[in-house]
Amino acid sequence: MDAAVSFSRFDSTSARRVKRVEEFLSSVELKISSDIETFVLAKENGKIIACGGIAGNILKCIAISPEKRGEGFFLSLMTELLNTANDKGRKDLFIFSSPKNRLFFEECGFRLIQECDNQVILMENSENLAKYKKSLSQYKKDGTKIGSIVMNANPFTLGHQYLVESAASQCEHLHLFVVGEDASEFSFVDRLRLIKEGTLHIKNVTVHEGSDYIISKATFPTYFIKNRGEVNQIHAKLDLNIFKDHLAPTLGITHRFVGDEPHCKVTNNYNQNMKRILQEVSNSVSIKVIEVPRKQESSKAISASRVRGLLKEKRYEELSKLVPKSTFDFLIQKYRD
Amino acid sequence: MLKKSAYAGTLESSDAYIQVSPHDKREIELESSVEEIYGEAIIVLIEKTLDEMKITDVFVKVQDKGALDFVIKARLQTAILRACDLSEPVWEVL
Repeated sequence: MDAAVSFSRFDSTSARRVKRVEEFLSSVELKISSDIETFVLAKENGKIIACGGIAGNILKCIAISPEKRGEGFFLSLMTELLNTANDKGRKDLFIFSSPKNRLFFEECGFRLIQECDNQVILMENSENLAKYKKSLSQYKKDGTKIGSIVMNANPFTLGHQYLVESAASQCEHLHLFVVGEDASEFSFVDRLRLIKEGTLHIKNVTVHEGSDYIISKATFPTYFIKNRGEVNQIHAKLDLNIFKDHLAPTLGITHRFVGDEPHCKVTNNYNQNMKRILQEVSNSVSIKVIEVPRKQESSKAISASRVRGLLKEKRYEELSKLVPKSTFDFLIQKYRD
Repeated sequence: MLKKSAYAGTLESSDAYIQVSPHDKREIELESSVEEIYGEAIIVLIEKTLDEMKITDVFVKVQDKGALDFVIKARLQTAILRACDLSEPVWEVL
Protein backbone atom coordinates (compact mmCIF):
# COMPACT_ATOMS: atom_id res chain seq x y z
CA MET A 1 0.00 0.00 0.00
CA ASP A 2 1.08 3.55 -0.67
CA ALA A 3 3.07 4.73 2.33
CA ALA A 4 1.58 8.22 2.18
CA VAL A 5 -1.94 6.91 2.76
CA SER A 6 -3.16 6.82 6.33
CA PHE A 7 -6.43 5.52 7.73
CA SER A 8 -8.34 6.86 10.68
CA ARG A 9 -11.67 6.08 12.30
CA PHE A 10 -13.97 8.29 14.32
CA ASP A 11 -17.51 8.38 15.65
CA SER A 12 -20.23 10.48 14.12
CA THR A 13 -20.28 12.64 17.28
CA SER A 14 -17.42 14.65 15.86
CA ALA A 15 -19.46 17.16 13.84
CA ARG A 16 -16.44 18.91 12.34
CA ARG A 17 -15.01 15.69 10.92
CA VAL A 18 -18.40 14.47 9.71
CA LYS A 19 -18.71 17.72 7.80
CA ARG A 20 -15.45 17.02 5.99
CA VAL A 21 -16.70 13.56 5.01
CA GLU A 22 -19.88 15.14 3.76
CA GLU A 23 -17.89 17.52 1.58
CA PHE A 24 -15.81 14.66 0.21
CA LEU A 25 -18.91 12.60 -0.56
CA SER A 26 -20.54 15.48 -2.33
CA SER A 27 -17.40 15.87 -4.47
CA VAL A 28 -18.08 12.37 -5.78
CA GLU A 29 -21.82 13.08 -6.05
CA LEU A 30 -22.87 11.04 -3.05
CA LYS A 31 -24.84 12.07 0.00
CA ILE A 32 -24.07 11.19 3.58
CA SER A 33 -26.35 8.84 5.53
CA SER A 34 -27.44 10.32 8.83
CA ASP A 35 -27.46 7.02 10.73
CA ILE A 36 -23.74 6.25 10.37
CA GLU A 37 -22.13 5.66 13.78
CA THR A 38 -18.51 5.26 12.80
CA PHE A 39 -16.57 6.55 9.83
CA VAL A 40 -13.38 5.25 8.28
CA LEU A 41 -11.33 7.81 6.46
CA ALA A 42 -8.31 7.49 4.18
CA LYS A 43 -6.06 10.49 3.70
CA GLU A 44 -3.12 11.13 1.44
CA ASN A 45 -1.01 14.20 2.15
CA GLY A 46 -3.76 15.56 4.34
CA LYS A 47 -6.43 15.21 1.67
CA ILE A 48 -9.37 12.82 1.99
CA ILE A 49 -9.18 10.22 -0.74
CA ALA A 50 -11.69 7.64 0.46
CA CYS A 51 -14.29 6.97 3.13
CA GLY A 52 -16.80 4.48 4.39
CA GLY A 53 -19.27 4.23 7.24
CA ILE A 54 -20.88 1.72 9.56
CA ALA A 55 -24.54 1.99 10.53
CA GLY A 56 -25.69 -0.99 12.57
CA ASN A 57 -24.72 -3.98 10.46
CA ILE A 58 -24.75 -2.06 7.20
CA LEU A 59 -21.72 -0.60 5.46
CA LYS A 60 -22.63 2.71 3.87
CA CYS A 61 -21.19 5.65 1.99
CA ILE A 62 -18.20 3.78 0.61
CA ALA A 63 -16.43 6.10 -1.80
CA ILE A 64 -13.01 6.60 -3.37
CA SER A 65 -11.85 9.70 -5.16
CA PRO A 66 -11.62 9.15 -8.93
CA GLU A 67 -7.82 9.38 -9.15
CA LYS A 68 -7.34 6.56 -6.60
CA ARG A 69 -9.65 4.11 -8.32
CA GLY A 70 -8.51 1.04 -10.22
CA GLU A 71 -5.27 0.36 -8.38
CA GLY A 72 -6.41 -2.03 -5.71
CA PHE A 73 -6.83 0.70 -3.13
CA PHE A 74 -10.44 -0.33 -2.73
CA LEU A 75 -9.30 -3.53 -1.01
CA SER A 76 -7.25 -1.57 1.53
CA LEU A 77 -10.26 0.57 2.30
CA MET A 78 -12.52 -2.46 2.66
CA THR A 79 -10.00 -4.19 4.94
CA GLU A 80 -10.03 -1.14 7.18
CA LEU A 81 -13.83 -1.01 7.15
CA LEU A 82 -14.14 -4.71 7.99
CA ASN A 83 -11.58 -4.35 10.79
CA THR A 84 -13.52 -1.41 12.20
CA ALA A 85 -16.80 -3.32 12.00
CA ASN A 86 -15.20 -6.39 13.59
CA ASP A 87 -13.84 -4.29 16.44
CA LYS A 88 -17.39 -3.13 17.08
CA GLY A 89 -18.52 -6.76 17.16
CA ARG A 90 -20.28 -6.54 13.80
CA LYS A 91 -19.18 -9.55 11.81
CA ASP A 92 -22.19 -10.17 9.65
CA LEU A 93 -22.58 -7.21 7.38
CA PHE A 94 -24.76 -5.92 4.58
CA ILE A 95 -24.12 -3.61 1.68
CA PHE A 96 -26.66 -1.90 -0.50
CA SER A 97 -25.13 -0.62 -3.66
CA SER A 98 -25.44 -0.02 -7.32
CA PRO A 99 -25.25 -3.24 -9.41
CA LYS A 100 -22.12 -2.03 -11.20
CA ASN A 101 -20.19 -2.47 -7.93
CA ARG A 102 -21.18 -6.08 -7.40
CA LEU A 103 -17.84 -7.59 -8.47
CA PHE A 104 -15.88 -5.27 -6.18
CA PHE A 105 -17.82 -6.36 -3.14
CA GLU A 106 -17.70 -10.02 -4.16
CA GLU A 107 -13.93 -9.69 -3.95
CA CYS A 108 -14.39 -8.78 -0.28
CA GLY A 109 -16.48 -11.80 0.57
CA PHE A 110 -19.95 -10.35 -0.02
CA ARG A 111 -22.60 -12.38 -1.83
CA LEU A 112 -25.59 -11.18 -3.74
CA ILE A 113 -28.95 -11.54 -2.04
CA GLN A 114 -31.06 -9.61 -4.49
CA GLU A 115 -30.73 -7.39 -7.51
CA CYS A 116 -33.52 -5.14 -8.75
CA ASP A 117 -33.77 -3.76 -12.25
CA ASN A 118 -30.19 -2.56 -12.50
CA GLN A 119 -30.91 -0.05 -9.75
CA VAL A 120 -29.91 -1.67 -6.49
CA ILE A 121 -28.24 -4.76 -5.09
CA LEU A 122 -28.23 -6.11 -1.56
CA MET A 123 -25.27 -8.22 -0.49
CA GLU A 124 -24.19 -9.90 2.73
CA ASN A 125 -20.86 -11.36 3.85
CA SER A 126 -22.30 -14.22 5.87
CA GLU A 127 -24.51 -17.20 5.15
CA ASN A 128 -27.23 -15.81 7.35
CA LEU A 129 -29.93 -15.76 4.70
CA ALA A 130 -29.58 -19.51 4.20
CA LYS A 131 -29.58 -20.02 7.97
CA TYR A 132 -32.61 -17.77 8.40
CA LYS A 133 -34.54 -19.62 5.71
CA LYS A 134 -33.71 -22.91 7.39
CA SER A 135 -34.95 -21.70 10.76
CA LEU A 136 -38.05 -20.22 9.14
CA SER A 137 -38.88 -23.46 7.34
CA GLN A 138 -39.72 -25.21 10.62
CA TYR A 139 -42.80 -22.97 10.86
CA LYS A 140 -44.05 -24.03 7.46
CA LYS A 141 -47.67 -25.17 7.48
CA ASP A 142 -49.38 -27.13 4.76
CA GLY A 143 -52.33 -25.60 3.03
CA THR A 144 -53.59 -24.15 -0.21
CA LYS A 145 -54.09 -20.68 1.22
CA ILE A 146 -51.20 -19.52 3.37
CA GLY A 147 -51.33 -15.85 4.22
CA SER A 148 -48.78 -13.28 5.30
CA ILE A 149 -48.67 -9.80 6.78
CA VAL A 150 -45.69 -7.54 7.39
CA MET A 151 -46.31 -4.92 10.05
CA ASN A 152 -44.54 -2.33 12.05
CA ALA A 153 -47.44 -1.70 14.49
CA ASN A 154 -46.16 1.46 16.07
CA PRO A 155 -48.08 0.72 18.30
CA PHE A 156 -50.54 -2.17 17.77
CA THR A 157 -54.08 -0.78 17.31
CA LEU A 158 -57.55 -2.24 16.82
CA GLY A 159 -56.91 -1.56 13.13
CA HIS A 160 -53.96 -3.96 13.14
CA GLN A 161 -55.97 -6.46 15.12
CA TYR A 162 -58.80 -6.25 12.61
CA LEU A 163 -56.39 -6.78 9.72
CA VAL A 164 -54.89 -9.88 11.37
CA GLU A 165 -58.31 -11.30 12.27
CA SER A 166 -59.66 -10.69 8.81
CA ALA A 167 -56.60 -12.21 7.11
CA ALA A 168 -56.51 -15.21 9.45
CA SER A 169 -60.17 -15.96 8.74
CA GLN A 170 -59.45 -16.05 5.02
CA CYS A 171 -56.61 -18.57 5.07
CA GLU A 172 -55.51 -21.81 6.64
CA HIS A 173 -52.49 -20.28 8.29
CA LEU A 174 -51.16 -16.75 8.64
CA HIS A 175 -47.53 -15.70 9.03
CA LEU A 176 -47.12 -12.30 10.63
CA PHE A 177 -43.73 -10.60 10.29
CA VAL A 178 -42.84 -7.77 12.63
CA VAL A 179 -40.43 -5.17 11.22
CA GLY A 180 -37.36 -5.57 13.38
CA GLU A 181 -35.92 -2.09 13.63
CA ASP A 182 -35.73 0.27 16.56
CA ALA A 183 -36.14 3.43 14.52
CA SER A 184 -39.84 3.71 15.36
CA GLU A 185 -41.29 5.52 18.36
CA PHE A 186 -41.87 2.22 20.15
CA SER A 187 -39.06 -0.27 20.53
CA PHE A 188 -39.08 -3.58 18.70
CA VAL A 189 -39.47 -5.52 21.95
CA ASP A 190 -42.54 -3.50 22.94
CA ARG A 191 -44.11 -3.64 19.49
CA LEU A 192 -43.57 -7.39 19.28
CA ARG A 193 -45.06 -8.00 22.71
CA LEU A 194 -48.17 -5.95 21.96
CA ILE A 195 -48.67 -7.77 18.67
CA LYS A 196 -48.34 -11.12 20.40
CA GLU A 197 -50.78 -10.16 23.16
CA GLY A 198 -53.23 -8.63 20.71
CA THR A 199 -53.31 -11.72 18.49
CA LEU A 200 -53.25 -14.37 21.21
CA HIS A 201 -56.92 -15.21 20.58
CA ILE A 202 -56.26 -16.03 16.91
CA LYS A 203 -55.20 -19.63 16.66
CA ASN A 204 -53.82 -19.93 13.13
CA VAL A 205 -51.20 -17.19 13.35
CA THR A 206 -47.42 -17.43 13.72
CA VAL A 207 -45.71 -14.20 14.76
CA HIS A 208 -42.19 -13.95 13.32
CA GLU A 209 -39.65 -11.61 14.78
CA GLY A 210 -38.32 -9.31 12.12
CA SER A 211 -35.12 -10.12 10.35
CA ASP A 212 -32.58 -8.32 8.26
CA TYR A 213 -34.45 -9.57 5.22
CA ILE A 214 -37.42 -7.34 5.69
CA ILE A 215 -35.83 -4.12 4.59
CA SER A 216 -36.90 -1.26 6.76
CA LYS A 217 -37.36 2.11 5.17
CA ALA A 218 -35.40 3.62 8.03
CA THR A 219 -32.20 1.72 7.37
CA PHE A 220 -32.42 1.58 3.58
CA PRO A 221 -29.49 3.62 2.34
CA THR A 222 -30.21 5.98 -0.47
CA TYR A 223 -26.93 7.78 -0.95
CA PHE A 224 -26.11 5.97 -4.18
CA ILE A 225 -29.46 6.63 -5.82
CA LYS A 226 -29.06 9.58 -8.13
CA ASN A 227 -32.70 10.35 -8.71
CA ARG A 228 -34.12 11.16 -5.27
CA GLY A 229 -37.67 10.76 -6.53
CA GLU A 230 -37.05 7.06 -7.13
CA VAL A 231 -35.95 6.22 -3.59
CA ASN A 232 -39.31 4.95 -2.32
CA GLN A 233 -39.92 2.98 -5.48
CA ILE A 234 -36.50 1.28 -5.35
CA HIS A 235 -36.86 0.46 -1.66
CA ALA A 236 -40.26 -1.10 -2.29
CA LYS A 237 -38.95 -3.16 -5.19
CA LEU A 238 -36.02 -4.52 -3.23
CA ASP A 239 -38.01 -5.34 -0.12
CA LEU A 240 -40.84 -6.98 -2.04
CA ASN A 241 -38.58 -9.00 -4.30
CA ILE A 242 -36.67 -10.43 -1.34
CA PHE A 243 -39.98 -11.34 0.23
CA LYS A 244 -41.17 -12.98 -2.94
CA ASP A 245 -37.96 -14.83 -3.85
CA HIS A 246 -36.74 -15.90 -0.42
CA LEU A 247 -39.23 -15.65 2.46
CA ALA A 248 -42.49 -16.58 0.73
CA PRO A 249 -41.25 -19.82 -0.92
CA THR A 250 -39.70 -20.98 2.36
CA LEU A 251 -43.10 -20.84 4.08
CA GLY A 252 -45.24 -21.65 1.05
CA ILE A 253 -46.95 -18.28 1.24
CA THR A 254 -49.70 -17.75 -1.32
CA HIS A 255 -51.31 -14.51 -0.14
CA ARG A 256 -50.25 -11.23 1.34
CA PHE A 257 -52.66 -9.03 3.23
CA VAL A 258 -52.32 -5.31 3.66
CA GLY A 259 -54.48 -2.53 5.03
CA ASP A 260 -55.76 -0.21 2.32
CA GLU A 261 -54.35 3.27 2.41
CA PRO A 262 -56.72 6.11 1.62
CA HIS A 263 -54.65 8.93 3.12
CA CYS A 264 -50.90 8.45 2.91
CA LYS A 265 -49.60 8.69 -0.64
CA VAL A 266 -46.28 6.98 0.12
CA THR A 267 -47.94 3.95 1.69
CA ASN A 268 -50.50 3.77 -1.05
CA ASN A 269 -47.71 3.76 -3.64
CA TYR A 270 -46.06 0.95 -1.71
CA ASN A 271 -49.30 -1.02 -1.81
CA GLN A 272 -49.63 -0.52 -5.55
CA ASN A 273 -46.02 -1.66 -6.05
CA MET A 274 -46.80 -4.65 -3.87
CA LYS A 275 -49.66 -5.70 -6.11
CA ARG A 276 -47.58 -5.33 -9.23
CA ILE A 277 -44.47 -7.09 -7.96
CA LEU A 278 -45.93 -9.90 -5.85
CA GLN A 279 -48.72 -10.80 -8.26
CA GLU A 280 -46.50 -10.91 -11.32
CA VAL A 281 -45.57 -14.52 -12.10
CA SER A 282 -41.82 -15.09 -11.83
CA ASN A 283 -40.06 -18.43 -11.30
CA SER A 284 -43.61 -19.84 -11.38
CA VAL A 285 -44.38 -17.98 -8.14
CA SER A 286 -47.12 -15.42 -7.74
CA ILE A 287 -48.50 -14.09 -4.48
CA LYS A 288 -52.00 -12.71 -4.36
CA VAL A 289 -52.29 -9.35 -2.65
CA ILE A 290 -55.48 -8.63 -0.76
CA GLU A 291 -56.19 -5.11 0.46
CA VAL A 292 -58.33 -5.14 3.57
CA PRO A 293 -60.38 -1.96 4.14
CA ARG A 294 -59.30 -0.09 7.25
CA LYS A 295 -61.32 -0.47 10.40
CA GLN A 296 -63.06 2.79 11.24
CA GLU A 297 -63.81 4.53 14.51
CA SER A 298 -66.00 7.68 14.58
CA SER A 299 -66.00 7.32 10.76
CA LYS A 300 -62.25 7.81 10.61
CA ALA A 301 -59.74 5.09 9.79
CA ILE A 302 -57.82 3.79 12.78
CA SER A 303 -54.12 4.27 12.34
CA ALA A 304 -51.04 4.12 14.51
CA SER A 305 -50.27 7.75 13.73
CA ARG A 306 -53.72 8.76 15.01
CA VAL A 307 -52.97 6.85 18.22
CA ARG A 308 -49.60 8.54 18.59
CA GLY A 309 -51.28 11.92 18.08
CA LEU A 310 -53.85 11.30 20.81
CA LEU A 311 -51.12 10.00 23.09
CA LYS A 312 -49.14 13.20 22.64
CA GLU A 313 -52.20 15.26 23.56
CA LYS A 314 -52.96 12.93 26.48
CA ARG A 315 -56.48 12.21 25.19
CA TYR A 316 -56.60 8.78 26.81
CA GLU A 317 -60.39 8.40 26.71
CA GLU A 318 -60.49 8.66 22.91
CA LEU A 319 -57.34 6.62 22.61
CA SER A 320 -58.89 3.71 24.49
CA LYS A 321 -61.37 3.27 21.64
CA LEU A 322 -58.59 2.74 19.11
CA VAL A 323 -56.38 0.14 20.75
CA PRO A 324 -56.82 -3.30 22.34
CA LYS A 325 -56.74 -3.44 26.12
CA SER A 326 -53.20 -4.84 26.19
CA THR A 327 -51.90 -1.88 24.19
CA PHE A 328 -53.91 0.60 26.26
CA ASP A 329 -52.57 -0.77 29.54
CA PHE A 330 -49.05 -0.57 28.19
CA LEU A 331 -49.45 3.02 27.00
CA ILE A 332 -51.01 4.14 30.28
CA GLN A 333 -48.27 2.55 32.30
CA LYS A 334 -45.59 4.03 30.11
CA TYR A 335 -46.91 7.57 29.58
CA ARG A 336 -49.31 8.58 32.32
CA ASP A 337 -47.49 9.78 35.39
CA MET B 1 -10.01 -21.75 24.01
CA LEU B 2 -11.35 -18.82 22.05
CA LYS B 3 -12.66 -16.03 24.24
CA LYS B 4 -13.95 -13.74 21.50
CA SER B 5 -14.02 -13.10 17.78
CA ALA B 6 -10.86 -11.86 16.12
CA TYR B 7 -9.39 -11.26 12.70
CA ALA B 8 -6.06 -10.93 10.93
CA GLY B 9 -4.81 -10.14 7.46
CA THR B 10 -6.04 -8.00 4.60
CA LEU B 11 -8.14 -8.38 1.47
CA GLU B 12 -5.25 -7.41 -0.72
CA SER B 13 -3.68 -9.57 -3.40
CA SER B 14 -1.42 -12.41 -2.14
CA ASP B 15 -2.84 -12.07 1.35
CA ALA B 16 -5.78 -13.56 3.22
CA TYR B 17 -8.35 -12.00 5.54
CA ILE B 18 -9.18 -14.45 8.29
CA GLN B 19 -11.94 -14.12 10.87
CA VAL B 20 -12.35 -16.56 13.74
CA SER B 21 -15.05 -16.80 16.38
CA PRO B 22 -16.08 -19.18 19.17
CA HIS B 23 -18.39 -21.93 17.89
CA ASP B 24 -19.86 -25.24 19.05
CA LYS B 25 -17.80 -27.20 16.54
CA ARG B 26 -15.06 -26.67 13.99
CA GLU B 27 -16.41 -25.05 10.85
CA ILE B 28 -14.39 -23.58 8.02
CA GLU B 29 -15.71 -21.30 5.33
CA LEU B 30 -13.29 -20.65 2.52
CA GLU B 31 -13.49 -18.30 -0.40
CA SER B 32 -10.40 -18.16 -2.53
CA SER B 33 -9.37 -16.68 -5.84
CA VAL B 34 -7.51 -19.95 -6.44
CA GLU B 35 -10.17 -22.23 -5.01
CA GLU B 36 -10.41 -24.62 -7.97
CA ILE B 37 -6.71 -25.47 -7.78
CA TYR B 38 -5.76 -25.00 -4.14
CA GLY B 39 -9.06 -25.02 -2.26
CA GLU B 40 -8.58 -28.47 -0.78
CA ALA B 41 -4.93 -27.84 0.09
CA ILE B 42 -5.88 -24.65 1.93
CA ILE B 43 -8.55 -26.47 3.96
CA VAL B 44 -5.98 -29.16 4.89
CA LEU B 45 -3.55 -26.44 5.94
CA ILE B 46 -6.16 -24.73 8.12
CA GLU B 47 -7.21 -28.01 9.75
CA LYS B 48 -3.58 -28.89 10.44
CA THR B 49 -2.81 -25.48 11.91
CA LEU B 50 -5.88 -25.66 14.18
CA ASP B 51 -4.90 -29.20 15.25
CA GLU B 52 -1.44 -28.02 16.17
CA MET B 53 -2.91 -25.24 18.27
CA LYS B 54 -5.43 -27.67 19.79
CA ILE B 55 -8.39 -25.55 18.71
CA THR B 56 -11.57 -27.51 18.13
CA ASP B 57 -14.59 -25.26 18.61
CA VAL B 58 -14.10 -22.47 16.15
CA PHE B 59 -15.71 -20.86 13.15
CA VAL B 60 -13.05 -19.85 10.64
CA LYS B 61 -13.85 -17.64 7.70
CA VAL B 62 -11.13 -17.19 5.12
CA GLN B 63 -11.11 -14.71 2.28
CA ASP B 64 -8.04 -15.75 0.34
CA LYS B 65 -6.44 -13.74 -2.43
CA GLY B 66 -3.86 -16.27 -3.52
CA ALA B 67 -1.75 -16.12 -0.37
CA LEU B 68 1.16 -18.53 0.00
CA ASP B 69 0.90 -21.29 2.60
CA PHE B 70 2.98 -19.61 5.27
CA VAL B 71 0.97 -16.41 4.92
CA ILE B 72 -2.32 -18.22 5.49
CA LYS B 73 -0.84 -20.12 8.42
CA ALA B 74 0.55 -16.95 10.01
CA ARG B 75 -2.71 -15.05 9.56
CA LEU B 76 -4.69 -17.91 11.08
CA GLN B 77 -2.32 -18.26 14.05
CA THR B 78 -2.48 -14.54 14.68
CA ALA B 79 -6.28 -14.47 14.55
CA ILE B 80 -6.50 -17.43 16.94
CA LEU B 81 -4.03 -15.89 19.39
CA ARG B 82 -5.99 -12.64 19.38
CA ALA B 83 -9.23 -14.55 19.93
CA CYS B 84 -7.64 -16.36 22.89
CA ASP B 85 -6.37 -13.06 24.32
CA LEU B 86 -2.80 -14.30 24.08
CA SER B 87 -0.08 -11.88 23.09
CA GLU B 88 2.73 -14.43 22.83
CA PRO B 89 2.41 -17.62 20.84
CA VAL B 90 3.42 -20.93 22.35
CA TRP B 91 6.49 -21.14 20.19
CA GLU B 92 7.02 -24.87 20.34
CA VAL B 93 3.65 -25.61 18.70
CA LEU B 94 4.26 -23.23 15.84
